[in-house]
Amino acid sequence: MAATLSLPNNHSLPSLLSPKTPSSQAPPSSLLIPRSLHSQFHGIRLSTPTSLPLASSSSAKSCIFAKVNKGRVPPSFTLKNQDGKPVSLSKFKGKPVVVYFYPADETPGCTKQACAFRDSYEKFKKAGAEVVGISGDDPSSHQAFAKKYRLPFTLLSDEGNKVRKEWGVPADLFGALPGRQTYVLDKNGVVQLIYNNQFQPEKHINETLKLLQSL
Amino acid sequence: MVSPSDLPISDLIWSIPFDSMSVLPQHKLFSSVNNPRPVVPCLVVRNGRVRCLAATTTTGPTGQKLESGKLVIVPVPTSTSTPPPDPPRVVTSPSPSPVRLATDDPSSLKSTWSHRAWVACGCTTVFVSLAKSVLLAAESHSWAGPILAGSVGYVLADLGSGVYHWGIDNYGDASTPFFGSQIEAFQGHHKWPWTITRREFANNLHALARAVAFSVLPIDLLCNDPTMLGFVAFFSGCIMFSQQFHAWAHGTKSRLPQLVVALQDAGILVSRAQHAAHHRPPYNNNYCIVSGVWNTFLDEMKVFQALEMVLFFKFGLQPRSWDEPSSEWTEDLEASAQIEA
Repeated sequence: MAATLSLPNNHSLPSLLSPKTPSSQAPPSSLLIPRSLHSQFHGIRLSTPTSLPLASSSSAKSCIFAKVNKGRVPPSFTLKNQDGKPVSLSKFKGKPVVVYFYPADETPGCTKQACAFRDSYEKFKKAGAEVVGISGDDPSSHQAFAKKYRLPFTLLSDEGNKVRKEWGVPADLFGALPGRQTYVLDKNGVVQLIYNNQFQPEKHINETLKLLQSL
Repeated sequence: MVSPSDLPISDLIWSIPFDSMSVLPQHKLFSSVNNPRPVVPCLVVRNGRVRCLAATTTTGPTGQKLESGKLVIVPVPTSTSTPPPDPPRVVTSPSPSPVRLATDDPSSLKSTWSHRAWVACGCTTVFVSLAKSVLLAAESHSWAGPILAGSVGYVLADLGSGVYHWGIDNYGDASTPFFGSQIEAFQGHHKWPWTITRREFANNLHALARAVAFSVLPIDLLCNDPTMLGFVAFFSGCIMFSQQFHAWAHGTKSRLPQLVVALQDAGILVSRAQHAAHHRPPYNNNYCIVSGVWNTFLDEMKVFQALEMVLFFKFGLQPRSWDEPSSEWTEDLEASAQIEA
């Protein structure tokens, strides 16, 4: 029943337990496992463009380059929202948009994250930004989730996790868990921030607001 | 079932705090510390009396036989000019589920000879493991290995207790093969945490003792490595006694032996404060119950949360700690207050 979490060789236990500021530099490409574990527990802000090695979703040996990086325009998509209506990313052009990928509705972390976005929604509106949450759940699940927690923003159904794969959202725990990664796009649709943190979901809100207020 | 709303609100003693001395003397339903008997919360109505019979009497106030497990509303005449009281209305409560037996049936907290036999077997296998380790270490004049292994066994027993406790608390139910009775017992424990302090020693430990006896006996017979035997002795011994440590963690400082309190304060046994945190919503932390040394790490690193997410995505299993606590899971605070009164 117990899962084994192997600690990376270059991370000592005390350093994992103590809070760290998100790093802005990518570590050497050979250290895939340490980076994944670091992001899961302390969050990581990815600010460097191109050729960024991230933890593989299936194997510790293979290396997947992120398809969406800072400074690039991500591939567009059209997904159904919680009301079953198709929504395109292009709909939000002209204003900043926060696109956050989360594992699933009704899980504790995702609920905390959604509620934190809800509670800070006015600040996002003040910054002129829109918030969009994406997971693999179907529209009816999103509708129930949004209704239960009174979420004022759009939730999109990425059934089959196609957009998640296209954007290169890394999985956690050696592929066992869909990743929790947030992208902030400016009004031109260019990615200005990528923040990843699986187990401290509320931090996504502060990090994205900080960036939005500087745009 | 008569609900409080059927009766005038002003007449409902239910609205009076349970520590009110105007209420308690009328109904000596609450056990003394030295003669613990499970109690069931009762509603007292000023112009009538509702008695819970599940744990006390089987004869009604007018001498009629009443079936245990039923609520009886007995109107009390207020003056001689009033008409005679109506015959008692028998209000059937749901038949007690197995988890209620701990509070309704005091014998379920007592040790039987079967319990004592299993505890004796478990203790024997642990003692043999320890004795063999000591003798073999003495023969080889090599003590460091067994002593270190024993320490590791003590530390890992805490981790093992946490993992087992997490699994039992979150998955399965009474019908789960092999683990069903344990799962039910743990859920009952969450609803009535204090009953563990009323369980007799062998009653509390016999399930773990049985598992230890079956696991350790083959090792005792086949293993001749003092280091391995040292590890097994401490690991299995701590696992077997974890229920006693758990019971002590539910005790109050004034009622525990001083040595136990000292060991808890020193972090050698799980502390009362640490374990109390496990019994508060959302009931998803502080699972370890030997020394509690792993609790901080497991909770800060969100290890169990990660495991829950993995099990959810891989197998669709949703842990109980994700749901709003149901009435079967949350502590019966009214009963707790009565016990403390």
